[in-house]
Amino acid sequence: MIRIALGAVVLLALPFALSQFWTFIAIEALAFALYAVSFNVLLGYGGMLSFGHAAFFGVGGYAAAILLKKAGLPPTLAFALVPVTALVVSALFAALIGVFSVQRSGIYFAMLTFAFQMLLYTLALKASSITGGDDGMTGLKPPGALAQPFYYYYYALAFVAAGLYVLYRLVSSPFGFTLRALRANPRRVQYIGVNVRAHQLAAFVASGAFAGLAGSLFALSSGNVFPGWLNWTASATPIVMAVLGGVHTFLGPALGAAVYVVLEVLISGKTEYWPLAMGVIIVALVLLMPEGLSGLRRKTA
Amino acid sequence: MIDFVVQHLAWVQNPVVVARQLLAGISNGMLLFLISAGLSLIFGVLRIINFAHGAFFMIGAFIAVSASGLAPGGIGGFAAALLGAAAGLALLGVALETGLLRRIYRAPHEYQLLLTFALVFILGDAAKLIWGREDNSVAVPEMLAGATRALGLTFPTYRLFLIVIGIGVAAALWLVLHRTRWGVFVRAATMDRGMLSALGVNTRWLFTAVFAAGAALAGLGGALAAPIVAVGPGLHVQVIIDAFVIVVIGGMGSVLGALVASLLVGIVNAFGILAIPGAAVVLTFALMAVVLIVRPHGLFGTPE
Repeated sequence: MIRIALGAVVLLALPFALSQFWTFIAIEALAFALYAVSFNVLLGYGGMLSFGHAAFFGVGGYAAAILLKKAGLPPTLAFALVPVTALVVSALFAALIGVFSVQRSGIYFAMLTFAFQMLLYTLALKASSITGGDDGMTGLKPPGALAQPFYYYYYALAFVAAGLYVLYRLVSSPFGFTLRALRANPRRVQYIGVNVRAHQLAAFVASGAFAGLAGSLFALSSGNVFPGWLNWTASATPIVMAVLGGVHTFLGPALGAAVYVVLEVLISGKTEYWPLAMGVIIVALVLLMPEGLSGLRRKTA
Repeated sequence: MIDFVVQHLAWVQNPVVVARQLLAGISNGMLLFLISAGLSLIFGVLRIINFAHGAFFMIGAFIAVSASGLAPGGIGGFAAALLGAAAGLALLGVALETGLLRRIYRAPHEYQLLLTFALVFILGDAAKLIWGREDNSVAVPEMLAGATRALGLTFPTYRLFLIVIGIGVAAALWLVLHRTRWGVFVRAATMDRGMLSALGVNTRWLFTAVFAAGAALAGLGGALAAPIVAVGPGLHVQVIIDAFVIVVIGGMGSVLGALVASLLVGIVNAFGILAIPGAAVVLTFALMAVVLIVRPHGLFGTPE
């Protein structure tokens, strides 16, 4: 409890200590923290490895962009509707993809989510009258003072905190414990009479919805969305974040997201070969740190 | 709308166009087969999704670029490039399997996925460092340049050559898998690795050999593709997606499935370009989605 209060104080004070650039990066870290935790509800709790989660982050981003640019609503009203729209639209897409994907498990589930994500990616790329095609959609801006990173940070923080709270309640509910049991042994859970597929689908929809919310928050901060957000290489990002932070803790992936975002800024500022550096870091992570950063802490404690 | 359809489907009545697109589709399909057969075999035996497989293909193509710089236009140099690409990638495969992959077979799926994904980054940037960022082109060797007349139509000779090579590789793979002791082990490993190991087969080296063979096929495919594609640092991204679509459609672990799905995707792409210009790739994913919904384990895959 003390640790959470301390964390809240630090997060609330952060924009006062940071330059505008780093406040912008902090917003990115917040959005990706929600993204990584929502992803980890599937992986860490449900034992379901989605390799298509960028689809929902991207759908959330596009939902926000289309609402602001194409719906013809007054800007303030459109902006106010962004979070709920992103949640609902991503949830719908997650339900559609989930219905087919949860029929399989393990690595096959990963491949199915990958496949559907690529379908959405090509749609984003080709349906240029709606999505702007290759050029994506640019010039997205929150209204008024929120256009400044300082204020938008608090706006994003409120939604990320709310999202994390809902997800936390979800994984600590009986539903969350059924999910954990499913990770350990789906067959046994089925024998007790639990509808395994329905539980997995529900987790998939919840996870996709909050990934979409995270995408919409980031879209309004960065000011644009691109088809690359839904590309398969983007789907590795939440996995790296979750594994980096540790998949067996609720907030581990959020920590992993923050570290990842900062690392990316630092490395890509130094060399154009940041993918190479990132690749080496991932290999080291996989071979040397089986429990992520939260595992390190446990070892030293 | 009607005008659009009529305009874009006018080629249906033109047998020359249909035959040429069919040939292009089959020859592209053969290249896709070379990469997806290895991907599928590796998945079947090692249970690893090798995201780096597209990078293997790209490196094979770059090796052909280097070779054509040394001996341009000659068939001897081209043959050496093909062999060099296959051998070079086999060596790389052995190094990666024994040095890295071997350590994570017991790790959770996400670790395996991340490792081969990291290899995409590393190999992609390494290729940029070695071969630069520009697109390269490789000349078709003189003996295979030009056109060949068949059935009253003319076809590019190199396309016919690709089809012959593809059939040859498919036949060789079938013979190895079904007529050699090693092939029996490989097929057994796709069914039950634990049992195979318990029966005294050294699965450690079997895994290394399968990974190296898959890498060699991808390298060969890349070298063969070099004369008909732009060889640049972005080559692997599109290729790996096509290969995944094929492995999913054909059934993960099935070489026959990879062959059928490769030809299917190659042909669908070739005609898709005519039917809906600029959006043919949507057709491939739509095809995959339909197959997944109707047969979730792919055309030739077995339910786990």
